[in-house]
Amino acid sequence: MGVLPNKMLHSTAKRHTEAFAALLAMFLVIFMLGGLTWTAPAQAEDELNCVLCHKFRGLSRIDEEGRFRLFYINENLFMKGPHKRVMCLDCHRDIKKIPHDPAEKVNCTVECHLTEPSSKQNFTHAPVKEILDASVHSKYDKEGNLKDYPEDYPGCKDCHEQPLYRPLSFFKGESAGISRRGLSRCKSCHQTGDFAEDFYSHVTSRLQKTRESREIVETCAKCHADPAFQKRHGLDNVVASYKETFHGKAVTFGSDETADCMDCHVVYGESVHSIESHTEPTASTHKNNVAATCRNEECHVKAGEAIASYQVHTDYSNAEKYPMQYYMLKFFQGLMAAVLYFFIIVIFLELLRRLFPNFCFIKEKPTDAKSVLQNSSSEKGA
Amino acid sequence: MLHLIKTIINKVYIIFLMCFTVWYGFFLYPVIWGHGGADHDVDPTAATEANVDAEIAALLNEADMQEEQFASALREQGRIATTNLGYMVVEEEYVQGHFHHVGMTVEPDDSSLCIRCHGAIPHDKAKAIRAFLNMHAFYVACETCHIQPKTEGESWAFRWYDKKSGELISNPPGLTSLDKSMYGNYGAKIAPGRISSSGQFMFLNDEKERAFVEKYLQEKDRLGSTQQSKMKKVIHRRIDEDPLMCDGCHNDTSPYLPYDLLGYPKRRKQDLVGTEVAGMVAKYQEFYMPKFLLPGDNWKPEAPKPAAEKAEEDGAY
Repeated sequence: MGVLPNKMLHSTAKRHTEAFAALLAMFLVIFMLGGLTWTAPAQAEDELNCVLCHKFRGLSRIDEEGRFRLFYINENLFMKGPHKRVMCLDCHRDIKKIPHDPAEKVNCTVECHLTEPSSKQNFTHAPVKEILDASVHSKYDKEGNLKDYPEDYPGCKDCHEQPLYRPLSFFKGESAGISRRGLSRCKSCHQTGDFAEDFYSHVTSRLQKTRESREIVETCAKCHADPAFQKRHGLDNVVASYKETFHGKAVTFGSDETADCMDCHVVYGESVHSIESHTEPTASTHKNNVAATCRNEECHVKAGEAIASYQVHTDYSNAEKYPMQYYMLKFFQGLMAAVLYFFIIVIFLELLRRLFPNFCFIKEKPTDAKSVLQNSSSEKGA
Repeated sequence: MLHLIKTIINKVYIIFLMCFTVWYGFFLYPVIWGHGGADHDVDPTAATEANVDAEIAALLNEADMQEEQFASALREQGRIATTNLGYMVVEEEYVQGHFHHVGMTVEPDDSSLCIRCHGAIPHDKAKAIRAFLNMHAFYVACETCHIQPKTEGESWAFRWYDKKSGELISNPPGLTSLDKSMYGNYGAKIAPGRISSSGQFMFLNDEKERAFVEKYLQEKDRLGSTQQSKMKKVIHRRIDEDPLMCDGCHNDTSPYLPYDLLGYPKRRKQDLVGTEVAGMVAKYQEFYMPKFLLPGDNWKPEAPKPAAEKAEEDGAY
């Protein structure tokens, strides 16, 4: 190899430096763009085209335990909730090939690739698990031992379906759905992607209950209305007894302003995952706290202490546990039956008389009456 | 005469009121005494569940797992889950443990002979593809894949039948829908048949076949067990030992199903016979996802947990 002149050497070195700098710059730009794209994924995270198969409603099977497993994804609805920003593989992490091996259950406590804005950390539902583990719904007791029937205690999916936004429109009165006029204000600055729409939907959904009261009752009923579950844990059918109350009836008929399960069983202002047994002194349903729970600022603010005596979960069919209520119910049922059937019989007999106005069981009477009439008229004439 | 008519009308009116009074008496009985306390579910969305609950209570006494599952199935039967978003109400079939919203209810196939015994989700043996096969069973009749022409030169024609009535229908409009949630959910199925010399199409499982199976199911208890086995063989006489395989339809040279005649738009047909599906079918045994699509080089699935720990956490989070 020959020796290059100094000038040429310098020129070559300069070219190499420029090329290196250009490559470095390109690499940095690509890295930054890639990094930004990765830390803030836009939406419709289906790069792997999972819906190629999962858009078909029939994609399903019966598993070895006899449970119906449905693998269908309704893309329209999937795009209406916060999970639309998460990739399929973020949750279904063990899926590696097609057709998939039997997949493990999704673990909601893992970190996903979204950034939680307040902490700048990767988002995870793990803090919810911590709260749930300290609640009555934990499968472990205070000593850390596994409770009986641990499989009965709820995980995330037992209460939560895929969350859907319930956005509110605040322009010219509150109504459901996104206010396009409100959104246009956001979009005047936040123009990129669907950020403004997602943010709007997320915040306005969180300003109200994300589920109707009726849906909340039905969620609790999945376990608490199951006779086998009640039998295993020695519980009453609290769902049915709640539905017999004024609260329950109003909720059944669609009220969203009446107390549902969460309103009484969660300490006001605390996480809904922190429900405690009524035997715990800090529970909202502990006998010393019931009045305060009823008097929270959204319910019976001015109620007296006596409101705590109201029994919500009375089982009227249980004479041993609730004898007074049981016999009072029987008394009023009997009273109502006596009154109503008395008048029904009277009305029926009245109608019978109108159908047969001259009917009489005593056949001789008409002739006797005639003779009596004749006798009386002859007496009058005399 | 007028007086007579008036009298008759009056009497009829009174008889009607008397009948109403008697009916009202019967009506009031459960209203007054029907309060079953906590054992009685008053959920209006589950009005038909009252009788089912009684069956469940009886079944529970058996404390038997399979009977509990039967009780659970009874509870879930026809259950509709409702989610009110304010601006729209999502009504969907309730599927226990299912996280993603289904967003629809499904019409059962009331006219399939096979489903009467085998159920709507019949495939279970081929573990790798059973869900795919069940997916096809949603819009393809069993006989399409399981009864192929036996003799040389014989071929089937294919048409759609209505799941509810079983009658021949024209191509379902959902086929041309751009709404992906409608894919495969046409309320109809593709089934094979023959075209007579007069040009009339007849399904392989025609009215006569259906009537025969119906009669067999109603009267099979009159047969001994040997005769029942014999009749099962007769009913399944046309079923192929080897069903039609995936690449029979998912190929672009000579697909088994006439997609054009069945009303599939070109883009859908291209999806079915193109590389996206056909390629996957060809390679499905060893088709691993490209690594560059996975989220980062350091990403790896979590290591399997010890059996005891897994048992504890199974289904919890």
